[in-house]
Amino acid sequence: MLNVDFQKLSDLINKNVPGANAVVNTPEGKSDSSITVEASSIFAVVSFLKTNSEMPFNSLHVISGVDYVEHMEVCYMMSHFDPEGGREFILKIKVTDRVNPAVDSIVSLYAAANFQEREVYDMYGIKFNNHPDLRRILCPDDWEGFPLRKDYVAQKVYNGMEVFPDSKMNFEDREFIVRQAMIKKAQTQSAQ
Amino acid sequence: MQSKWDIGEPEKRTINSETEQLKSELLTLNMGPQHPATHGVLRIEIWTDSEIVAHAIPHLGYLHRCMEKHAENLDYRGVIPFVDRLDYLAAMNMEWTYVQAVEQMLGTEVPRRAELLRILTGELQRIASHLMAFGTYALDLGAFTPFLYAFETREKILRLFEEVSGARLLYNYIWVGGLWNDWTDEQLERVGQFCDFMEEEAKKYNELVSYNKIFIERTANVGVFSLQDCLDYGATGPVLRGSGMKWDLRKNKPYSLYSEFDFDVPVGDGEHGQAGDCWNRYMVRMKEVVQSVKIIRQVLEKLEPGPIMGKVPKIIKLPKGEVYVRQECPRGELAFHLVSEGDAKQPYRLKVKSPCFTHVSMLPRVAPGQMIADFVATVGSIDIVLGEVDR
Amino acid sequence: MSTNVHQTGSVKDYFLDLYNGIRTSFVGMWITFKYVWSAKHVSIEYPEVREVLPERSRMRLFNDAQNCISCTQCAMACPVDCIYIASEKYPEGHEVQKTSNGQPIRLKLTQFVIDTSLCCYCGLCTTVCPTECLTHSHDYEFSQYTIDSMKYDYLAPDVVAWRDRIVKS
Repeated sequence: MLNVDFQKLSDLINKNVPGANAVVNTPEGKSDSSITVEASSIFAVVSFLKTNSEMPFNSLHVISGVDYVEHMEVCYMMSHFDPEGGREFILKIKVTDRVNPAVDSIVSLYAAANFQEREVYDMYGIKFNNHPDLRRILCPDDWEGFPLRKDYVAQKVYNGMEVFPDSKMNFEDREFIVRQAMIKKAQTQSAQ
Repeated sequence: MQSKWDIGEPEKRTINSETEQLKSELLTLNMGPQHPATHGVLRIEIWTDSEIVAHAIPHLGYLHRCMEKHAENLDYRGVIPFVDRLDYLAAMNMEWTYVQAVEQMLGTEVPRRAELLRILTGELQRIASHLMAFGTYALDLGAFTPFLYAFETREKILRLFEEVSGARLLYNYIWVGGLWNDWTDEQLERVGQFCDFMEEEAKKYNELVSYNKIFIERTANVGVFSLQDCLDYGATGPVLRGSGMKWDLRKNKPYSLYSEFDFDVPVGDGEHGQAGDCWNRYMVRMKEVVQSVKIIRQVLEKLEPGPIMGKVPKIIKLPKGEVYVRQECPRGELAFHLVSEGDAKQPYRLKVKSPCFTHVSMLPRVAPGQMIADFVATVGSIDIVLGEVDR
Repeated sequence: MSTNVHQTGSVKDYFLDLYNGIRTSFVGMWITFKYVWSAKHVSIEYPEVREVLPERSRMRLFNDAQNCISCTQCAMACPVDCIYIASEKYPEGHEVQKTSNGQPIRLKLTQFVIDTSLCCYCGLCTTVCPTECLTHSHDYEFSQYTIDSMKYDYLAPDVVAWRDRIVKS
């Protein structure tokens, strides 16, 4: 990350946005630190980050989702482009509801969020309230399921076409290997 | 059956009743998935009012290959061929960004010769990509000759890359910890000759296309992205620099050994037209080619013999954590968000921040009010590659 | 709103534009005109003339099955899983042969199939092969009529006929 004093930033957020509960995550090793805030306060936090004068952030880089099995996280990469001194850091929120997840949209603050939030919706199913046009962007419009979730299983039939047709799955070759591996395992076990 | 164009009995028709009955509606036109000027399979639904565009809605996903899901089942070295295929015209920069993310988490030391050669290949790839952008942009606007000149020049670079890495377009050359193969002195000599050749060619292209009055009339004051729009939409790279902001990751947040090099950052300054229009974005790319040649010459002076591969374990397992690494690629800033969960041979999540995806989202903002030909010029000037947009 | 028209249209601007337009068109045409005399013949007449590929070119894979020790490193390194290997133990009392670089062959290779319609020609399998029996040849003209014939069986008896056809480094 670049030019960001994490403790100072999280103190600023906590002071100016009540209920944000900004927590700095400093992992061990060479990974990047990040700041986690409450999911319900994301709009207020981002608008504070955009408009404050001490550490402003004038651009949103990307919104990325991660699926940890019990909860999902949405990471916002906030950045500041300024030839004198740029800044960048990761802002995270946790989404615990897996059935109907919903988060406030920040499209009115940064227009970059339009396509990015559509992609997070497409891949993870997280709905964004007040998004002007929330529909699938990369998958076809009538696709079922949310592909990047860890428990995703592809649908069998799409518009009358088979999604994983048996003739193209190379079963004979793969099964041959699996059978050979089982034979080899049985031989080594009987030899012991 | 009453047709909506039915304007009544011939005896009762007057000139007024004809014009009253003729309603004007917006015409929906598909700048469809197959189109010679959309640089890939991009579908843009254009609603036009005669020649002027009223809305433009891009529809993506025609080249979606689920690379992010594939990466969760591959080991770290096996992701590199997949990452190549994101922006297939600038594959070295894609590999370099991904490898930098893995190396940052592993903590490997890359030998100096490998870093310098990575800069050399990255800048050569930048020249090749900008040449492609130049050639296809001129082709979109109707000029066929610059396309052939650009491809002949680009062929020299691709031939060099084929001799070093084995493939012309999808290299799998930059590996975790260093490089796969080394460059011989003879190949480096040819790089030096190519630099001289490229400077002459850049002057020729400027005379042929950049300062041609017809080209200027087609592209100046067309598709203006104001600086505030660029920051709002998250534009980076030549699009942001063409609108006037001097932001280049190689200078403002130097990665690898770029802090040792001396080069300028060209910015769109409104020499013709205004800052933020198509001509200035295009001119930023042409000037960047000259700056890349300058960097390559400095690399050739600094190169010394040495190892090209650092110490990397046979099976790469990253510790728990996440990292977000950005680099200046020819089309903008490419970034990888790499999340790893403990000791696993595969990444837990690999998110690609692709610059072309954000640039395509700017099209609906700037399209209303343009004529269709101007819209084609705008789409060509943001230089998108659909492999990166759709992943 | 994009406007290509000049905002101030004076008579001087009109003639200056006209002069610039004609001048730059002639500059461009002179550049292309020079190619009439100085153009180098860059196209090669394929298929009568074939280009000599650099020695590191990664084209069709070739496996020398007599040297394979069935370590399955290539199948594990492949990012698209296109190599299918099966092997079994030799019966007791079989004398152990050696590969061309001295390694003993302890397992009998019963299947080595590469599905070249899936292969992405990345070269990861050739770098991990310990005996270097799996290499890239320079053959790029191997299109077939059906997808099933793109699965190459390197233990087939007619592989020797291919081996002569491929220009192998």
